[in-house]
Amino acid sequence: MRLHTGAYTQGFAFIFPAVALFGVFVFYPAFYVLYAALFEWDGINDGVFVGLGNFHQIFTDDTPFWISMRNALYWAPLTIVIQMVLGFLIAFLLEIRTRMVPLFRALFYLPAIVSPVVIGIVWQRIYNPFGGLLSDIGRATGLKFLAFPFLADTQTAIFAVIVVNIWQWMGFSMLMYIAGMKGISREILEAARLDGISTRQTAIHVVWPMLRHVHMTLILLGVIGTLQTFPLIYIMTKGGPNHATEMLPNYIFQQGFILQNMGYASALSVVLLALSLGLSIFQVKVLGARFSFGAGR
Amino acid sequence: MKKLLLSTTAIAMATTVATTAVAQETTVTYRSWSPVIQTLDKMVEATEAAHPGIAIDVKTFNYGEYLVDLQTRANSGDMPDLVGLEPGALTQQYRQQLAPAQQCAQSVWGDDWQSKFYPLAVDQVRLGNPEGDDNFYGLPVLTQTINLWYTVPVLEDLSLEAPTTYEELKALADAAREAGYAPMMIGAGDGWIRRDVFMQLIHNVAPGLIYQAEAGDVPWTDARFVEAMQAWKNMFDDGIFQDGALGLSHYPGAVEVIESGRAATFPMGAWWQQQAAGDNPTPLSENLSGYAAFKFPDVTGKGAPNDFLGGIDVMIGISKDADYDAACKVLTDWIGGAGAQTLINTFNDLPAFVGLRPEKFGSANQEAVWDMFTEEWLPTVKYARQLASPDVKQALEDALAAVAAGDKTPEEGMAMVQAAYDSSKG
Repeated sequence: MRLHTGAYTQGFAFIFPAVALFGVFVFYPAFYVLYAALFEWDGINDGVFVGLGNFHQIFTDDTPFWISMRNALYWAPLTIVIQMVLGFLIAFLLEIRTRMVPLFRALFYLPAIVSPVVIGIVWQRIYNPFGGLLSDIGRATGLKFLAFPFLADTQTAIFAVIVVNIWQWMGFSMLMYIAGMKGISREILEAARLDGISTRQTAIHVVWPMLRHVHMTLILLGVIGTLQTFPLIYIMTKGGPNHATEMLPNYIFQQGFILQNMGYASALSVVLLALSLGLSIFQVKVLGARFSFGAGR
Repeated sequence: MKKLLLSTTAIAMATTVATTAVAQETTVTYRSWSPVIQTLDKMVEATEAAHPGIAIDVKTFNYGEYLVDLQTRANSGDMPDLVGLEPGALTQQYRQQLAPAQQCAQSVWGDDWQSKFYPLAVDQVRLGNPEGDDNFYGLPVLTQTINLWYTVPVLEDLSLEAPTTYEELKALADAAREAGYAPMMIGAGDGWIRRDVFMQLIHNVAPGLIYQAEAGDVPWTDARFVEAMQAWKNMFDDGIFQDGALGLSHYPGAVEVIESGRAATFPMGAWWQQQAAGDNPTPLSENLSGYAAFKFPDVTGKGAPNDFLGGIDVMIGISKDADYDAACKVLTDWIGGAGAQTLINTFNDLPAFVGLRPEKFGSANQEAVWDMFTEEWLPTVKYARQLASPDVKQALEDALAAVAAGDKTPEEGMAMVQAAYDSSKG
């Protein structure tokens, strides 16, 4: 089949705005970063070509990078799974109870719309063993472990931040599940009730499996969120103490702008880009077709 | 009809005059992290009044955002006319975008312009210049010392005085804890305050040693560095700092506790005076009635040094693309003119220009503190608070956190710094 030149022109005209925007805002910066990654460069003055030297250093001699990888491995499963379970539980309880549901929905969702900067500052105070809310509660109730310096200890700091992240985004998971539950036919739930299965069994064996498309959306968003984690870490710990809470975006910012190693920061960004691409392709190929588009429903 | 013609002509003439006036007005742009925008707005008003024909466009950011803004502007050829700078690495990074500022200073204050500044301010401007480059790529606006402060009512409550030795500091810490106060309130989650305290410790152990190490004359693993690092660790182990210090930011985390009157002592610098000039100062900050500055105690038993650490708080460079004369007028006005007086009236920090003094003090204590800083402490500053290499600075801050957290020994901590130094030297 042959197309007339006019048809080509017309087709190209239709896709041109999208291609132009993609080229300017995605393609060019990505290649520029890839190019910059080959230099030792402070971001302003002329750089020195080092080939793959920056990448060699990242993989062989960069402890904070590997700590950030380890933290991402903690962050993704912990936040995604716990947020999903808690979000589902809250959504399910709100769906089977009717009193003051809008109020509770709003309350649970509120942290998701508050600036992470505000949340970071507030939670840093809450965790502060000197006069912080947790330590005061601990002293008042005899639960002394609450006065533990969670953010100051390198073993616990990352988990303390993960708890805050879960608290912030749990309401978002809840909202997604509520939307998903609205799509479940009342007849199915009624049939389950008539068959005599308990509320707990309904939640686990009926509702949960029917929300697989929501689970997959939350996993996808959770993985993306993990790779983008920046403001909460920057405000609460700045990646410390001793890089114990380091995440890749924070480390890239520190290398690029604070330490003036823009070439090295570019190499780290390329690694992050590769990771993001790899995980996205994995999700679409392995999980997406089966779940996201409802093939298994 | 005649009336209409006359009116039209008058309007046209007025418009022409107004347009000409607007055309003659030169706009000077300034971007920085300091001073705060409320102060800057007042400075702009004073400087524009002193220099008709110059309009000033200012914007401030927090420090991290400023670095992003400046780097983006530099790469896109849109540098601000006046650039907020720190001596050392930041100035050197943008050196090629900046015009030498000594001609500006010379044109306003004459050949002996350097004598108008505190010596430390002039000394530090050229930190990191390549050999043979004697240009000043900025002029200092504000200076500072780093030291300790105590909360007057708290020490009165404890019936104690400002400590001068480590034993006295330990006794104060024990008494403060017993009474429910933070002994030494620090937000050690911030690298800069960890470094500030360490700089005072190493200054006590071996004055000037750290600058020899920067020059490569002494290894960072020298026993005296290890001794200072051990002293830092002891301050955590002995309960000198409040519990959980590594998990708190200095601003605003520690400052809130300090301002609420629950901290016996705290590390800060001369800039703490600015708390008194806020829109709504706390009772302790009002006229600086609740705070007093004191020197870091002698932690080694060898005797505390007589001088202080400090240097330039903020300096300003002129962009190569700027209208040099207009930018120079604004810059020199902010250093030693009407704008500078407005700045100093807010107690933002100490002036770089000798002789400037706030026009009004709220209390005798506030005036006494100012005089102590400018007449006794500032002239004795011999060594800089800053380090030249950002990589070494970062490594030191990391090492301090690692040692404080117990992840590294003092020896291992200093080995981290040495490794960063070796790496930065290629």
